Amino acid sequence: MSTTQQAVAIGRGLIGRRPVRRGWFGGVHGADYVWAIAFALPYAAIFLAFVVYPICFGIWMGSSLALYQELFSDPRYLMTVANTLIYVGIGVNLKLFVAFLLTGFFIRKSWWTKALLVVFILPWATPALPAYISIHWFLSGTWGLLNSALYDMFNIDGPIYLNDRWMGLSANIGAYIWKTLPFWTVILLAGRMSVPQELYEAAAVDGATGLRRFKHVTLPLMANLYLVCTLLDMVFALGDFNSTFFVSGGGPAMSTEVLATLGIRYAFTLGVPNLGVATVMSALPVLLPLVILLMRKLRMSEGQL
Amino acid sequence: MSIVSRRLLLTGSLGAVAAGTLSRPYIANAAAGTATVWATQGFVPAEDEAFRKTVADYEKLSGNKIELSSMPFMALNQKSISALTSGDVPDLIFHDAPTTILPQNAWNDKLVDVSDVVETQKSKMTESSLLNSSFYNSVTKQRSYYLCCVKQGATPFHIWGDLVEKAGFKLSDVPKTWDKYWEFFKPVQTELRKLGSQYRKIYGIGLQITTVGPNDSTNLFNHFMIANGGKDIVTSDGKLHTADPAVRAAAEHSVNFMTGLYKDGFVPPEALSWNDADDNNGYHEKLFVMDFDGTLSTELASIKNEQAYWHEMVVMGLPNGNDGKPMPMQTGAGGGFIPKGAKNVAVAKDFMKYFMQPDVLNENLKGGLGRWVPPMVQIVKDDPFWLSSNDPFRKVYVEEGTLGPTIANYYGYNPAYGQVAAEQLWTQACAEVIKNGATVQAAVDKAFKRAEEIFAKVSFS
Repeated sequence: MSTTQQAVAIGRGLIGRRPVRRGWFGGVHGADYVWAIAFALPYAAIFLAFVVYPICFGIWMGSSLALYQELFSDPRYLMTVANTLIYVGIGVNLKLFVAFLLTGFFIRKSWWTKALLVVFILPWATPALPAYISIHWFLSGTWGLLNSALYDMFNIDGPIYLNDRWMGLSANIGAYIWKTLPFWTVILLAGRMSVPQELYEAAAVDGATGLRRFKHVTLPLMANLYLVCTLLDMVFALGDFNSTFFVSGGGPAMSTEVLATLGIRYAFTLGVPNLGVATVMSALPVLLPLVILLMRKLRMSEGQL
Repeated sequence: MSIVSRRLLLTGSLGAVAAGTLSRPYIANAAAGTATVWATQGFVPAEDEAFRKTVADYEKLSGNKIELSSMPFMALNQKSISALTSGDVPDLIFHDAPTTILPQNAWNDKLVDVSDVVETQKSKMTESSLLNSSFYNSVTKQRSYYLCCVKQGATPFHIWGDLVEKAGFKLSDVPKTWDKYWEFFKPVQTELRKLGSQYRKIYGIGLQITTVGPNDSTNLFNHFMIANGGKDIVTSDGKLHTADPAVRAAAEHSVNFMTGLYKDGFVPPEALSWNDADDNNGYHEKLFVMDFDGTLSTELASIKNEQAYWHEMVVMGLPNGNDGKPMPMQTGAGGGFIPKGAKNVAVAKDFMKYFMQPDVLNENLKGGLGRWVPPMVQIVKDDPFWLSSNDPFRKVYVEEGTLGPTIANYYGYNPAYGQVAAEQLWTQACAEVIKNGATVQAAVDKAFKRAEEIFAKVSFS
C-alpha cells in the first residue's frame, strides 16, 4: 500500500468513525436538561406544525384507493411517469457529472477563474420564474430569439421546439440543468477544496500526478459527497414543478408533463386536490428509498466530505 | 436558587406560549359584524379601486366591516381550493371566473346555498347568468344557487384594424357567417406578407388551438361547436350528447376546419403549445391579425397607448353560425360564493345582497372600465355608459355579452366537463390530426370516448 493509500485509509477511519452513543439525551442532566428541552421545544412545535402535520394531512388526503384507480385510468399517467424518470435520470446525473468536471476548472487559482465563477453563478441567483418564462420565449418557434438569430445569421428557419415531445422534454431538462448547475458546482467545489493538501503532497511523493492523483485521491474522497448530492438532487428534481410548467407547459398535448405538474393540474386546474396529492404520492415508492438511502449516507459520512 | 428561578422562568414561558396558542382561536373568530373576503385582483388598477369603493360604501352603510385580501387570479384559485380542502375558509370568496372551483365543491356540498341572496335580484338577471350561478349538489340531490353573480365575461374578436387596411381589405366586408368570417383573414395574411420582410412571419389568425392552456382552447372549441350546430353537446340536465349525430357532425366539422387553418399555414405553428398568456403577448406585438379571446382585457392592457386603443384596435362580436342564424355567446360568470364553515355567513350574504343591487353593481363594473358586462339587461339599457360611443369597444362587447343571445357555460351543467377541459380533449383531437396524421373521425372518436368515460363517473341519480 502506498503512502497515499495509507493516508487516505487512515483519514477515512478517523473521520468516518461514529461517536459512541450516550443515550437519548447525550448525558445532559439537571438544569441543563430542562434548558435543553426549553430550547428544543419551539423547534419541535414548528416541526410538528409545518412538517409532521402537513405530511400526515397529505397522506390522509391521498389515502383513498379510489384515487389511485382514477389516476391509473388516466391515459396520461404512464407517459407522465416515464417523463419523470427521464427528467430525473438525465437532469440530475448529467448535471452532477458536468458540475464535477467543472470543479476541476474552477479550482484553479487564477483571478479570472474566480471572476468567471461569479458570472457562472448568475443563473442560480436569477429568480426561477422569469428565467423559465424567458427560456419559453427564447424557444418560441416563430418569433423566439433562437430562431430569429438562426434566420438572421444563416437564413434558416429553426424548428418549432415546443411542439415536439422530445424537444420539449429536452428544453425542460436543459432549463433545469442551466438553473441549478451553478449551485451543485459550488457545493462540489467546496468539497474538492477541502481535500487535505497533504494527501496530494503524499501522492506526489509516491509519484502520482495528473489523472492518477485524481483517480487515487480526489475521486475516493469526493465519491461520498457526489453520491449525497446526487440523491439530494434526485429528491429535488422529483418535486420540481417550475421548469416543466413554465418552459414547455407540459405540452404539446401534455406529452412532457411530470408528476409534479400533473399533480398541480389535478389539484388546481381540475379542482380535485386529493387526486393531485395522490399523483405526487405515487412517486413515494421511488422517493422513500432515495430519502432513506440519503439519510443512511449522511449518518455514515459524518465528518467526511 | 438559580435552578428554581430557571424553572419558574421556563414554566412561565411555557404557560405564556400555551396561553397564546389557546387564545389564538378567539382572535381568529372575528367580531360578529366582520367578514373576511378574498377577491381577485383586477386586471387594471381601476377594477381594484372600484371594488374597494364598493366595500367602503357597504361598510359605511351597514356598520359591518370587510377584511379584504386581493390576490392575482391564479393565487386566489389555489388558495380557495386549498381553503375548501382544509376547511380553514374565509367568509366570502369573490372570484372572476370560478369555473374550476364551483361545480366540484357544490357537488361535494362544500358551499353555502345562496338562493336567498340571488332571489332578491333574480327577476332582473339574464337566464345564462342564473344558469351559470346554479350547480348540482350530490348530497341534497338538487340544483341550487351557489354563486351571487355580479359580472359576466364574453369572448369578442380582437382585430388589428390597421393591419387589415394595410393588406387592402375593409372590416366592413367581413362575411357574416362563422367559417367565412375566419377565412376572411387568410388573404389578409397573404397580402401583408407581400408588403416586406417585416411581415415575413405575420399570421392572419391567432387560433388558440393550444394543448397547454385549457381555458382558452376549451372556450374556442365550444364556440366552434355552437357555430356548427353542436351547442347541445352538454345540456342543462348535465347529460353528454356525443351520440347525437348533429353533435358529432359539429365536432368533426370543427376539428376539420380548425386543423385546416393550422395546416394551411394561417395560424402561428406554436399555437399548439401556447400558454394562456402567449396569444395575448403575440397579439400585442402584432404578430398576428386576429385573436378570439375572453373579455376586453386585451384592449384595456393598451389603454394608455392612444394610437393603438383608439385608432388601430377593433373589437367585433360574433358573426352568425354556419347556418346563417345568430349564434349565442357562451358567457362566464363572476361574483361571490360562501364556503361552508364560514364564520360570518350573515355578513357575507348581507354584503352580496348589497353588491347585487343594480345601482351598486353597475357603479362597480363601470369603475372597472367595463372589462366585465352586467348580468342584468336593464342596467345596459338604462345607463348610457354601456352603449354610448365614448369608448371604441364597450358597445360591441356589451351587445355580445348581455344583450345578444347567450348560453351558460357547460361547466355548471356537469362537473365532468371541468375534467374534459382540464384534459383538453378537443384540442388534443386537433393535435392528433395535425401531429400524428389521424383522420378527423378517428380523433373525434377518441375524444368522445374519453369524454364519455369521464361523464360516466358522475351520476345525478
